[in-house]
Amino acid sequence: MAACRSAVLYLSLLTLVLCLFGSLGPVATDSVEAKASQFFRSGHTNNWAVLVCTSRFWFNYRHVANTLSVYRSVKRLGIPDSHIVLMLADDMACNHRNPKPATVFSHKNMELNVYGDDVEVDYRGYEVTVENFLRVLTGRLPRSTPRSKRLLSDDRSNILIYLTGHGGNGFLKFQDSEEISNVELADAFEQMWQKRRYNELLFIIDTCQGASMYERFYSPNVMALASSQVGEDSLSHQPDLAIGVHLMDRYTFYLLEFLEDIHPASQANMNDLFKVCPSSLCVSTPGHRTDLFHRDPSSVLITDFFGSVRKVEITTEAVDLVPNVTEQEEEPTLIVMPAEPQSYVEQLPVAEIIHQKPKQKDWHPPDGFILGLWTLILLVFFKTYGIKHLKHIF
Amino acid sequence: MAAPLAVVLIVAVTIRAVLFRSSLAELIAQRVEVVSPLNAWKRVVEGLALLDLGVTPYSGDVFHETPLIIYLFHFVIDYSEFVFMIADGITAVALYLAVQDYNKIVFRKQKYALEADRYPRDVLELIQTPKDMYYIPLKVALFYLLNPFTILSCVAQSTCGLNNAVIALFILCTIKGSAFLSAVFLALATYQSIYPITLFAPALLFLLQRLYIPVSLHCPRFWVQALQYGVMFLGSLVVIVCLSFFLLSSWDFIPSVYGFILSVPDLTPNIGLFWYFFAEMFEHFRLFFLCVFQINVFFYIIPLSIKLKEHPVFLMFMQIAIISIFKSYPTVGDIALYMAFLPVWSHLYRFLRNIFLVSCVLLACSALFPVLWHLWIFAGSANSNFYYAITLVFNVGQILLVSDYFYAYLRREHHMAHGLYLKRKDGSEATLVLK
Repeated sequence: MAACRSAVLYLSLLTLVLCLFGSLGPVATDSVEAKASQFFRSGHTNNWAVLVCTSRFWFNYRHVANTLSVYRSVKRLGIPDSHIVLMLADDMACNHRNPKPATVFSHKNMELNVYGDDVEVDYRGYEVTVENFLRVLTGRLPRSTPRSKRLLSDDRSNILIYLTGHGGNGFLKFQDSEEISNVELADAFEQMWQKRRYNELLFIIDTCQGASMYERFYSPNVMALASSQVGEDSLSHQPDLAIGVHLMDRYTFYLLEFLEDIHPASQANMNDLFKVCPSSLCVSTPGHRTDLFHRDPSSVLITDFFGSVRKVEITTEAVDLVPNVTEQEEEPTLIVMPAEPQSYVEQLPVAEIIHQKPKQKDWHPPDGFILGLWTLILLVFFKTYGIKHLKHIF
Repeated sequence: MAAPLAVVLIVAVTIRAVLFRSSLAELIAQRVEVVSPLNAWKRVVEGLALLDLGVTPYSGDVFHETPLIIYLFHFVIDYSEFVFMIADGITAVALYLAVQDYNKIVFRKQKYALEADRYPRDVLELIQTPKDMYYIPLKVALFYLLNPFTILSCVAQSTCGLNNAVIALFILCTIKGSAFLSAVFLALATYQSIYPITLFAPALLFLLQRLYIPVSLHCPRFWVQALQYGVMFLGSLVVIVCLSFFLLSSWDFIPSVYGFILSVPDLTPNIGLFWYFFAEMFEHFRLFFLCVFQINVFFYIIPLSIKLKEHPVFLMFMQIAIISIFKSYPTVGDIALYMAFLPVWSHLYRFLRNIFLVSCVLLACSALFPVLWHLWIFAGSANSNFYYAITLVFNVGQILLVSDYFYAYLRREHHMAHGLYLKRKDGSEATLVLK
């Protein structure tokens, strides 16, 4: 009896479930299509990062450590080396003054080595110049540039741009000999927008008076963060007495600590990023700019820029892909006209030059001058030594 | 003494000839410390080439030499190396003869003062003996000819060597006592670069001293002599300038030469003080600072000649040093000229206080000039501040040298008048302070 009743119960449950599934069946196929189209309509499909350290010399160790810590976080969260353009203006790991060669530390007492074993620096040393940086951003590189040195982004790319170094009101110093101004940077971003080289751009800068660098942006979909306002200096964090220099700047130190807690599935959004370094910790006031950004910052995930998170939807249904067929027009056959042989004009009439005679000196001093000069010289001579020498001349 | 001088001359000519034939000659001719826009050889060649093409050489900002240089080099341009070597030789011989005569004058004055018993007892160790003074002229010629600065300047074929020759001849004529020749050579030197006009005062003082005319404004003979000398100088200058007009039938050379020296439009780095300041100056302050900088050269002669009116040759030395520090386009050739005089004051050695520091500074800066130039221009890891810092330190070193010799000279004069071991009124030991 009990077994019978349980069997009936089981069977009814099964039918119910089957019905449900049955009802769901056609619905399921509809939602796959909807989900597939939705997949392609939202936001970005790939992530890029351009990380630049602009200063050289040993005492700017902290700038290299800043850039390498952001590189480390970005790689850990999924962006591959092929999508990261890392520009370091000096080599701290192999610097003669580094007491621990092949390492770059971000925390004192050598807790965290941000150099690691698999750092790939794309632009190193003297290759980090304003010209190269702008060419990377705008894509105007010579044809011989290898892929690792190019920013091959498209209009579905989210790009993270991180700059650090010494800066001032409206400029950032590159390598102690040149600078990039905020106007140039804003124009570079506009070029990127017009060439459809980004979907959304996150610009982070850690320098003195960093907020001045994003004041002039005017392209859409750009969000900017800076470590200090105009008129303020960004300060460095702690020195390590064994290495002898300051290891990190405050803003990037707390940014690194914040990013260490982020994992690829984390839902932390930009508002958390804006709170990263309050004035009590950073001394300077970090700033941000979101007016050019179309989405609400609270809906922008950290991993949209710092990670390369892939949305994966698993389905066993078949999805119909609508073919995109365009008419192949018949190419008109080109009529090849015989071109007349063309040649360059002779640049240098070499034959004439070889057989040229040496030029004669055309100018001669006027006779009056020569006469006057030598008369004067004779007069001086006779005045000094007496007229009695005159008889030796005549 | 002619034989050692001949040996020195031969050695100097050999060194210069060897350097002329080597590949260093082009390298040195491009160094900014050795040539300036005023006296670079390639500008002379360019000017003469322009003249051959039928264009006045003063058009554009290329050529800033006087017409007499054009005349000289028009004929000897193929033998220019000999011209510069001969110029160095003339300078050395002129300085040799001048210092020989000067030593005679000094020795004679000393003898009269000793006979008149004007020196206190304990000062006898300070008196110069003929034995000390015997080798000084040779040392002067040696110092000039074998000074690396002179050799560099000669190998670079900078016309500074010709200017030095004219100034040396002027000094020789002044010390020999010929007012007319000295006025002529001074006019030539002033005609080439304006700054030697300040040497008018020491020359006048020397000639007055030689004729035993006291330097006081009430004495009519003073005014007569001064007027005579002034008229001769100005007359020769006017004659030379007018003669230069006839070379190219134009007055173009006046703004090109004198306007260039005074208004400093070319700011190529050199070892002077002008270029850095004027590179960063606002236009509306330029005239003011130009006047301030140029007055520095011309002004110091007034207080110095009041203080040193009994010692005109030392005044000449100081003024040449001041010219080569504060002029608008100094080169190492100018420095070589006043350094040649240092053996004349070798008896001041015991009173010099900073000589070690000064020599270290000058040596170190001379070594650092090419290093920082390379770092700035070629390596790109320094900037103009580094080079100007070395310029400043070098000029401070020179000023220290000059003021040290000034202090030592005055101190010796004071000792000669008041005794070597000075006592205060209460008998305790006194010290001399330069105020």
